[in-house]
Parts: sequence; structure tokens; C-alpha cells
Amino acid sequence: MADGQDFYQTLGVPRTASQDDIQRAYRRLARQYHPDVNHDPGAEDRFKDVSEAYDVLSDPGTRRRYDAFGADFRQVPEDMDPETFRRSRAGAGSRAGAGGGQARGARGSPGFSYSSGDIDIEDLLGGFFGGRAGRGWGPIPGADQEAELEITVEEAYRGTRRSISLSGDGARATLDVNVPAGVTDGQRIRLAGQGGRGTEGAANGDLYLIVRIAPHPRYRLDGRDLYVDLLLAPWEAALGTSVALDTPGGEAKVKVPAGTSSGRRLRLRGRGLPNSRGKPGDLFAEAKIMVPARPSRAERRLFEQLAAESDFDPRRQP
Amino acid sequence: MSHAMVRVPASRLTLDEFAMAAGLHPDLIRRLVALGIVEATYGPAGELRFSRSQLAVVARMQRLRAGLGLNYAAVALVTDLLDRIAVLETALRGSQWPGR
Repeated sequence: MADGQDFYQTLGVPRTASQDDIQRAYRRLARQYHPDVNHDPGAEDRFKDVSEAYDVLSDPGTRRRYDAFGADFRQVPEDMDPETFRRSRAGAGSRAGAGGGQARGARGSPGFSYSSGDIDIEDLLGGFFGGRAGRGWGPIPGADQEAELEITVEEAYRGTRRSISLSGDGARATLDVNVPAGVTDGQRIRLAGQGGRGTEGAANGDLYLIVRIAPHPRYRLDGRDLYVDLLLAPWEAALGTSVALDTPGGEAKVKVPAGTSSGRRLRLRGRGLPNSRGKPGDLFAEAKIMVPARPSRAERRLFEQLAAESDFDPRRQP
Repeated sequence: MSHAMVRVPASRLTLDEFAMAAGLHPDLIRRLVALGIVEATYGPAGELRFSRSQLAVVARMQRLRAGLGLNYAAVALVTDLLDRIAVLETALRGSQWPGR
């Protein structure tokens, strides 16, 4: 975060921005990414970057030094002349390129040694990396965060394991999450202590994963109840039949009673999503009568015969 | 002879316990209660009692103060609005699956 971030880019302002522009940009971004306003796990780091950028650019003195010396400006002595610095950096670069071993500082300015990597930036800055929250406010627990976790209907039925990666701290970059069988859409899974970082030793917030069950080509979902189309030929619907139906829990036999019209729901009790704390959902097979798009000559003749002999009129009021 | 049954919620903290857990001075906690930012109830002797869940409220207040430079009145408003948004978002989530 600290290394390589361009403070102007972080705030989205040009290098020529006025102090007013910088403050305006900072206020807008701070409101947008404050961890209590924005529960996205990435928002907290963004907020800290924005705060750090503003801390540097809002002070005309540090801003001048940042403009002159770049990201390493904190390691440059107060009285360093920018021109001398540039020349010494160029010298340091050529030394590195030559493989080292040459007379040190041959072209560098006397009295200045540029040590890279020896200074721990965190030491120089103290509690700065807690963002603006780090200074003078005492320990503050971290905010709760929220992220969405999309799973399929089948995964919701059987349960699943997911590796989720978190931005920020390398130490907790990926988490193995156990999604229990029978989660419902919108349900929250709490990962204690995986949310926003607390400052000065205060507790971290929690990370909540909000389960999203992805739309499925066959299954529609209402809570734990599943709905699936049951496609029937006209004679199957009229005469009754037994149909094998794929469900998330495996194949099920559905008995279609004679005289079933489109829209009739046949309930398969307990064949919906399971429920660890009670009754599982049901699966509803919805009859949908299909006709051949291009009937054969024989089929056509039979339908015509049926039309001539039947006095059934679906539009007649009973 | 009969005694009134008094239910003593074990999880309720006293002012000092709550202030200690929040890392703030008890006087500040008292002011936050007066401002309606922190909710408290009164014990049998009229002393303040706090639910542990209010510790998260205090933490959020501190983050908003430190991160956005809000004063206590503004924190109270922002807190109320964030809570309302949370309720609305939860309701919105529930309606995303129209079901059947």
C-alpha cells in the first residue's frame, strides 16, 4: 500500500490541483470508503490509502517534499536540495546497474547516503497506518464487513467449501469457508475477527458472507422450496403417468394423476433444500403440457379425431 | 410470604465495566447516553446498565469520529441513517427472489 501508491492518483486529482481540490477529493472519497459506510472488504484499505494521501498532500510543506522526492520523501533529510537528491538517485541507480563494488557515492553528494530497505517505514510513521484513526484516538475496534458469496442451487443443497481471498493483509489472504447444506438466499455467514482491523490492539470486526444463490436454468427458489417444470405430453397429462424427475438430491419418481392440467403443482415433500434446524423445504413439480411442434401425419389425424369427438372446452365456465 | 421475582440479566454491564470494555472514560459514556448515541437501561437502584451489543455502537461512533471528523450530533444522525439503510437493504435482499 505504502510503496508505489501515487498520492495524487489515489485522490484522483492532477499534480497541479489546488489545496481546495485536494480537500474536496479527500472528503468525497472518505465518505465513500469509510468502513462503516462501505462494507466491502476492500473499502477499508482504500480508506486508509486515501487518508494517507491526504495527510501528505494537505500540508503544503510535505506536499512540496513529496513532489520533489517522490514516495521516499520521508527518508530524505529535511535540508536536502531536490537537485542534489536527483543527482544522487541517478548515481545510486547506475551503481546498482553496474553490479555494485564500485567506489561508493562517486557521483553522489558528500554526506548523504541513501539507504534503501534498512528503514522500516512503520517505525518512522508510528501508528500512522491505522489511517487518520491511528493518531490520538486510542484503540478502536474494527468495523464489520460484508461480501457476497455466490453458490449454485446444488451447492446450497449439499453444502460446499469455498476458498475466498481477501484483499489487504497477506497473512489472511485466503480463507476456507464451510458453507453448510441448506443455506438460503440472503443468509449471512459470520467469520469472527475477519473484518476490519482494530487499531492499537483493539479487536477486529467480523466478516459477513451473504449467500447468493445463482439463478438456475431449471430450479426456481422460494426460501427452501424448489420449483421445477414438469413437461408432459397431452396424453400423459390426460391419462396420468409416472415420470422420473431430476432433483438436487437425485432422481425422484413423480406420480402424475390423470386429468392434470398445466400449472398444477405436484408436491414432493422434503425434496427442497435441507434445513439443519427444522423442516426441509418441498419440491414442487409444475405440470407444463407440451405438444409436438411438427406432428406427424398420423399424430395429426389422431388429434383431429379427438377434436371431432371431444366436447371438452377449456374456456367454458363451469 | 412472597417475593417479587426480579430478573437480573447477567449480560448487563455497569457504567464502569462498560467504560472499561469500551476504553473510554465513564463521563464520556454518560454523555453518549444523554445524546442518545448509546442505549442504556436503569438498574434497580437507578444506575445505568449497558448491553454488550452497545460496545459495537461505541466502536462505530469512534470510527466515524476519527475517520470523518464528525461531531457527536453528526455521529448520532449518521448512525441512525446507517441503521435505516441496513434495514432497507435487508428488505431489498428479501425481495430479489420473487419466488412463485
